[in-house]
Amino acid sequence: MYRPFLKLTSRFKRAPGVAALLGVLVLIAALQPARAQDAPVIAGAADLQFALEEIAEAFLAETGQAVKLALGSSGNFARQIRQGAPFQIYMSADESYVLALERDGFTRDAGTLYAVGRIVVIAPHGSPLAADAALDDVAAALADGRLKRFAIANPEHAPYGKRAEEVLRRKGIWDAIRPRLVLGENVSQAAQFATSGNAEGGIIAYSLALSPKVSALGRYVLIPAEWHSPLRQRMVLLRDAGPVATRFYGYVQQPAARAILRKYGFLLPGDEG
Amino acid sequence: MDWTALFLSLRLAAFTVVILLPIGIVMGRFLAYRNFPGKGLTEALVALPLVLPPTVFGYYLLVVLGSASPVGQFWEALFGRPLVFTFEGLLIASIVFNLPFAIQPMQRGFEAIPREVRAAAACCGMPPWRALLRVELPLAWPGILTALVLSFAHTLGEFGIVLMVGGSIPGETRTIAIAIYDRVQAFDDAGAAQMSALLLAFSLVTIALTFAFSRRIGRRLG
Amino acid sequence: MSGLTGLHVALHQDSPIPLAAEFSCAPGEVLALVGPSGSGKSTILRAIAGIYRPLRGRVTVDGEDWFDGGRGYHRPTHRRAVGMVFQSYALFPHMTALGNVMAALGDLPPHQRAARARSLLDLVHLADLYDRRPEELSGGQQQRVAVARALAREPKALLLDEPFSAVDKATRQRLYREIAVLRRGLNMPVVLVTHDLDEAAMLADRIAVLHRGRTLQTGTPRQVTTRPLSAEVARLVDLRNVFEGVVAGCDGDGGRTIIDWAGLQLETAGGAVVATGQRVSWVIPDGFVLLHRRDRPSRGEHENPVPGRVESVLEIGQMAHIVLRPGHAPELPLHFSVPLHVAHRNGIEPGVAATVSLLGEGIHTMPPPRG
Repeated sequence: MYRPFLKLTSRFKRAPGVAALLGVLVLIAALQPARAQDAPVIAGAADLQFALEEIAEAFLAETGQAVKLALGSSGNFARQIRQGAPFQIYMSADESYVLALERDGFTRDAGTLYAVGRIVVIAPHGSPLAADAALDDVAAALADGRLKRFAIANPEHAPYGKRAEEVLRRKGIWDAIRPRLVLGENVSQAAQFATSGNAEGGIIAYSLALSPKVSALGRYVLIPAEWHSPLRQRMVLLRDAGPVATRFYGYVQQPAARAILRKYGFLLPGDEG
Repeated sequence: MDWTALFLSLRLAAFTVVILLPIGIVMGRFLAYRNFPGKGLTEALVALPLVLPPTVFGYYLLVVLGSASPVGQFWEALFGRPLVFTFEGLLIASIVFNLPFAIQPMQRGFEAIPREVRAAAACCGMPPWRALLRVELPLAWPGILTALVLSFAHTLGEFGIVLMVGGSIPGETRTIAIAIYDRVQAFDDAGAAQMSALLLAFSLVTIALTFAFSRRIGRRLG
Repeated sequence: MSGLTGLHVALHQDSPIPLAAEFSCAPGEVLALVGPSGSGKSTILRAIAGIYRPLRGRVTVDGEDWFDGGRGYHRPTHRRAVGMVFQSYALFPHMTALGNVMAALGDLPPHQRAARARSLLDLVHLADLYDRRPEELSGGQQQRVAVARALAREPKALLLDEPFSAVDKATRQRLYREIAVLRRGLNMPVVLVTHDLDEAAMLADRIAVLHRGRTLQTGTPRQVTTRPLSAEVARLVDLRNVFEGVVAGCDGDGGRTIIDWAGLQLETAGGAVVATGQRVSWVIPDGFVLLHRRDRPSRGEHENPVPGRVESVLEIGQMAHIVLRPGHAPELPLHFSVPLHVAHRNGIEPGVAATVSLLGEGIHTMPPPRG
């Protein structure tokens, strides 16, 4: 099978052949995709996975300008920003990260509260677990052995993970459930684990559960907001933010974007009552 | 299909290979021909990225290249942006973690040249550079090509180190491997499947080519 | 170092390979380095070529220093006008025969190289094989390409490292004849390394006998094989009749010496003057041991008769190799050969009694063994 190819390479008049190969490589290296200078990169909390994509599309449709999205755990982004990562907007799921960055001089100002998030307990179809707001069945399943793995985001740097821990502690099952936890790097990954059949269920963001892609995979129930500290989601323009980023920042606070956020279950400032 | 990520990966791999070509030839040749105290240690250091867990490697790269380090600060002073989270930082990391993939096959290629053939080249009056060009490289080329192919493929697939040193910044450091991870988290199975299939096919072709070339090293000089 | 022309070599070091070699080779002369494996012959050749750098010594060719340990000067191989034929031929596998020879013609302008390479290949009788690659050539043909390539540079010294060891016997005989013809046209010193004494005797003008990197004796093949300087050299040149004795008397004027060999008195034809009572080693080459005809009893007119009993007869080709145990000293066997028909005619078989003569002119005394 290799014969014709090998014959070819052995007849390779070496110098021009090698030059051709190197030429191809240099050509690939020179391939420059539309350089990142124009489109600013927004670091968004993982619970904004679907909402932010829609908002960015709407922004593009309205202004003709593109933005790039990086989604992950808020704590991780805060660390990267401190190390000089080139984000222009930071949309955190926990305002304490934003305030700390502002204090340390990485931001333009103290930012704005753009949403308040909620958490849900979810059980994929076919799971022996039943999703209920008081987590009664979770406790029961834990006790009688039905529950083997339970997915949450990593409480160390993901705000949704922290709230999951608070809720589980309040229920009094934290110590018992701890060995059974599957920790997602961010709440999006936790949702992946919770719905893929590799865990019996989990606690994830309401905004993710509302997306058709996720809601189709299981049953979810909102957990009472009083059970955990609020998810006050704050966004801020970072020091090197350019005009497009500034424009986007404003856009998120406007009716079109707010409608999208509302659609994904976020409570919005100015919406109380 | 994230074309930006694909092209980014190809660019990273291409740059890595172009830069590693001379480095690999020089180092591979040196290790093949010379015996010196500390050679074993040198070879072990070169091979280190093969056995070191990528996160350990990534951690140390962050320490050396990050904003808090002298190297990072020097770079930032010179170019206005940090070394980490940039394509250039990734390239440096890529060159370092591909060293064994580049050097070892080239070293084997040069080692396969009988010593008497090299001595004969000198007896023919060829100065060392001409012996390299006319005798050594033509005989070592299967090893060199294997090295380039392996490095290229390995760069396309590297994940842990890229994530730690580069983050996942679209258009800058989000390579195709990271894009796949990203798509899975975004519940975009179709996108992840497409890109995974592409990488799988590419890896198969790479392995097949590598075996073909390795056999040629033996046959040519057997 | 005397003389401005030719090759002069002196190499000394203790480790990693011991060397204590000194010899010269004149232009047009063939010098063979002979010795057992591990005697450093190849190392010496490599040192002359510049591939190996010894600790101390000097290599001079036509008045130019190629290596001078004292000054720390070592001219790199590619700047020495040296031609070397390696034991494995070391042809460039990716080039044709023509390409291999052209590789050594870098000093010529490009358009002349092909023509000159062709004429060199013609010289070694490879006219139809210009475009063959080494893998397509037989051992003998590869060797000739290697010779042509070595000569291409018009070297000031030609070095051959066991060039015939990888070739079968018939081809070897043919190559000997061709080399013998070829060398008449060469006017550079030629150094040939071989472990085969017969080959050296056939091709070389002079032989240097080596043992553990030390040149023990340098001389014509005849000198070395009939007048070895020591018992060690004698054994290295395949002389098997090496014995000890005591000088019983010396006729200073006529040069005859009487040696007492385990009780038997032997008369030698001459040689160095040695004091009576002195212990010596002595050697007699096989060719100087003559078998008495068994049908004609000795009447005392033969030189140095030694009666004994035949221990073994080994028939190889047309010769019979005989081992005789002398009656007066059965533990000191004598080796000699006679044509097969002579052995048959005289009824030489293991166990029979026979007498040989040791020709005085062949008996050669050497310093006694140490200790």
